[in-house]
Amino acid sequence: MVTHEVTLDWRDGPTRTIAVAADETVVEAARRTEQTLPYGCLYGACGTCTGRLIAGDLVHTERARALKPRHSTEGYVLLCIAKPRSDCHVEVGATVQAELVSNPWK
Amino acid sequence: MVLLAMSSDESSDPGAAHGHEHHDVEGPGYPTPAAMRTESAREETAFVMAPRVGMDTDEPDFIAVIDVDPTSERYSEIIDTVEMPNEGDELHHFGWNTCSSSCHMDGLQRDHLIVPGQRSSRIHVIDAADPREPEIERVIEPEAVFEHDLSAPHTVHCVPEGKIVISMLGNADGELPGGFLQLDQEDFSIDGRWEADRGDVEMQYDYWYQPRHGVMLSTEWAAPKTYYPGFDLDDVEAGRYGDSIHIWDWETKEHRETLSFGEEGAIPLEIRMLHNPEATEGYVGAALASNIIRFWERNDGTWDWETVIEIDDREHPDWEMPVPGLVTDTLISLDDQYLFFSNWLHGDCRMYDISDTGNPRLVDQIWAGGNFGDRQSIQGTEIRGAPQMLQLSRDGRRLYWTTSLFSSWDNQFYPDIADEGSLMMKADVYPEEGRMELDEEFLVDFGDAPGGPARAHEIRWPGGDCTSDVWQ
Repeated sequence: MVTHEVTLDWRDGPTRTIAVAADETVVEAARRTEQTLPYGCLYGACGTCTGRLIAGDLVHTERARALKPRHSTEGYVLLCIAKPRSDCHVEVGATVQAELVSNPWK
Repeated sequence: MVLLAMSSDESSDPGAAHGHEHHDVEGPGYPTPAAMRTESAREETAFVMAPRVGMDTDEPDFIAVIDVDPTSERYSEIIDTVEMPNEGDELHHFGWNTCSSSCHMDGLQRDHLIVPGQRSSRIHVIDAADPREPEIERVIEPEAVFEHDLSAPHTVHCVPEGKIVISMLGNADGELPGGFLQLDQEDFSIDGRWEADRGDVEMQYDYWYQPRHGVMLSTEWAAPKTYYPGFDLDDVEAGRYGDSIHIWDWETKEHRETLSFGEEGAIPLEIRMLHNPEATEGYVGAALASNIIRFWERNDGTWDWETVIEIDDREHPDWEMPVPGLVTDTLISLDDQYLFFSNWLHGDCRMYDISDTGNPRLVDQIWAGGNFGDRQSIQGTEIRGAPQMLQLSRDGRRLYWTTSLFSSWDNQFYPDIADEGSLMMKADVYPEEGRMELDEEFLVDFGDAPGGPARAHEIRWPGGDCTSDVWQ
């Protein structure tokens, strides 16, 4: 099985690199290796697991329903349905999801 | 008549008398709303949903067991937690296996809580026969729910025919339409869908029913994929949020009528009918419009509505646009005399006299936290969030609330909750005087929860409450 090195980069926190198999989502690999990543629905609808791809190639294996086109353009990815096609560098942690939608009245 | 002040925090005993003299059997509730109000004891325990979704932790969501007995040494503390077996559920609303609507069902006991995960679509069945030591009895995994092309469980009510009905906000992909999932009351297995014909109803959120009148009313939030990631005004403009409520035939399980409010009723969430089983009217809080809409049945069996309370948007010096109140929860006292609701963005909780149902009268208001409240701390603790989910004591003398709404929406409006957790607070209510007062002695800081900070959402008492029970 092909595996790729995926670097998980917590803002203001640690950076850790884990091996993710090509048929494994980043969230699955993180759970297997006991890395703390937020997640919710596990099928791409809720956005709790949102990360931001800095480098590399991650593909969504289901429709990324939680993301709007502007999010995808800006590099946001749903790690519960994302599998690596190369080594990757991803910003992770709960604060990434919080960027998807801002306070509309502020 | 036997008038036994049964402590409703004690394990429910189907043989226990509770003044149910006009029936031969003893069921799990109270014969009337007044019986629940006057014959139950003061609440001693609260169950509170405590999600950790959207926080940087690998601890799961939990059910908090809170001591609300003021004579106890552990008053206003989390005395037990029931941790979920998985992460990512987002515990939100929950309900009982039975309530007063099954008052005539001999042998049934109110002893299990049905606790859904809003994001995971997992449904937990909790044995709460001993309210101080609840335990997970059974877990319905998401795959079993998705098989019925449903997701995102929300409101749980027991219904008289030995069933439990849960409103489901999405299909198996987190899109529309949603529906209703029915569980068996005996073994908590999935029966399938409740509805026989949903007509053109797509969105779901809360529901209420009046078995005496054969009616159910349901409300609208949005598709899970729309509200899950956060609140985006573009979605409102694109018509992806609800503005209607739906009338269903309770007997035939068919959709009958839609009341479309338009902007005046944007995002109608919590729906409450008067407790009096003869009544055919109630209120729904339109969260985004920040209006309270009254609805009622006409003589010809169709339904009508009118806005009876409007919360004005407010200018905030640091915000670009006027800020709506965001009416996120509503509640009617068991004597149908007072309506309470929260303005989660403004930061107040209001009390209205509804003795004249079409002309609610504001009698009192408490500001605590939020974006406009003068009071921003209690017991030296910053109030993170604002009044949100409400629960009233059965006797109508104590109002409790929590301050978190939904993980992704918290992140937009009160981001500190993600790091430090939210709060549970309380006011003393004086119904004879039509006023309430913040109880500064009471505070449960979920920032100090065992295992780390958590959000706090819906509150229920063992023995039933103002939003759990319906009368036949």
